[in-house]
Amino acid sequence: MVLSAGPMAKAVMVILLFFSIVAWTIILMKYRQYSRTEAEGDRFFRAVKDADSFKKLISVYRDSQDNAFYRLVLAAYKEVTSRQKDNPGRIHKDDMPGIENMLRVAISDESAKLERRLSFLATVANTAPFIGLFGTVWGIMDSFREIGVRGTTSLAVVAPGISEALIATALGLATAIPAVLAYNYFLGRLKRILSRMENATIYLINILDK
Amino acid sequence: MSEETWYKMLAVSLALHIVVLGAFSIPVKWGSSRKIDLSSAYSVNLVGSAGNLGGGSGGPKVAVQSKPEPKPDKPAPAIKEKKTPPPKKPQPMQKEDDAVSISKKKAPPKNKATREEVDRLEERIKNIRKKTDYIDVAKAGSGGSGRGTGAGMGLPGSGGGSGAPLDPAMQKYLLDIYEKIKNAWNVPGMAQKKDLETIITIKLRKDGRIVDMNVEKRSGNRVYDESVLRVLRAVEPLPPIPSSLNTDSLEIGFRFLPGGLS
Repeated sequence: MVLSAGPMAKAVMVILLFFSIVAWTIILMKYRQYSRTEAEGDRFFRAVKDADSFKKLISVYRDSQDNAFYRLVLAAYKEVTSRQKDNPGRIHKDDMPGIENMLRVAISDESAKLERRLSFLATVANTAPFIGLFGTVWGIMDSFREIGVRGTTSLAVVAPGISEALIATALGLATAIPAVLAYNYFLGRLKRILSRMENATIYLINILDK
Repeated sequence: MSEETWYKMLAVSLALHIVVLGAFSIPVKWGSSRKIDLSSAYSVNLVGSAGNLGGGSGGPKVAVQSKPEPKPDKPAPAIKEKKTPPPKKPQPMQKEDDAVSISKKKAPPKNKATREEVDRLEERIKNIRKKTDYIDVAKAGSGGSGRGTGAGMGLPGSGGGSGAPLDPAMQKYLLDIYEKIKNAWNVPGMAQKKDLETIITIKLRKDGRIVDMNVEKRSGNRVYDESVLRVLRAVEPLPPIPSSLNTDSLEIGFRFLPGGLS
């Protein structure tokens, strides 16, 4: 049925298939990325509650893999050490705003990384049904022209063409529905992760203040 | 994330799509699995013993349904003599056995041409019967052009003692249509040696116009199917239904084989 479709229908199907594959790749990637980041967050909060000083927290993260919360701690650590160079010892009160800014920058970096490619899911979710619809409209146009050529309105003559045309819409929806679901799901998760990161910076600043 | 997981996820996604598409494409075998509903059509065996009728491959070749006349749905048991029960009077099978040869009984009220036609048919059928006990209508049809009107093969009720009370006028009318379509139909060159079969039923109005056309079975070959539909368009209007048939509409089934039409 798919193989006998016209060239336009085939092109639409190929585009939708490509979209679907890319969308699912992103879904799987993001799922893994978010799950990992959340696990890291749990680890960070456990470590922060146990540690009574920044140095102790750093020691927990010394052997850690590269991850979002680690990068946050690292950014704070770098800022602190750079400021301590010309003024070793305790961190001065005037340095705190600078460190806070540094952490904010680190968070926006991380959120950009987490949001990356998520917009493609939204694009697929919005455009795939329309692309499918376009293929269907085109196919039905063809079908009607065929009715004119053959002069028969018999359902047996008309139905296969329309059935072929409708595959395009079905594919469009099949592509879009998982993308919509995944996009909304990941958006919720992203929000949660970002708010945890904000909390993490507050914890970090508190621990630096001690 | 890192490049390594990107490729891994792409592979997983591809595998997922292949599995899903595969699952969908396996049960979708189009065209071949379509059901043919012939319950409303009436199938008739023409020549030879009716015992062959149930026998599959040679099966019913022409399906005729005349709306106002209800007909018994079973062919009579094998009868050697050619018989046609009186028209418009469905009869029980036993009675049919006793029925007198129709062509003689029925002929007088008809016009001369019809009578001659019937006689000729009878003669031809006898000749054919000498050669084979049972004749596949399609085969006969393929060689039929040289033999005049194809000796009425493919026309229901002409022999075999079928239960269809088709009178000679009907036979002649169907013969006309059959000839017209057959002459107009050019079998596509590529289809000549292929095993293709398209079954179409058409519904005729009194004036010979085709009011409905139904593809009961597609051959699976687009060009072939289209040639069949084209010829049916081309022959329209068909000759008007004779008033003696007393019917306003007629449903006729055709079986298009590359070798011939029936």
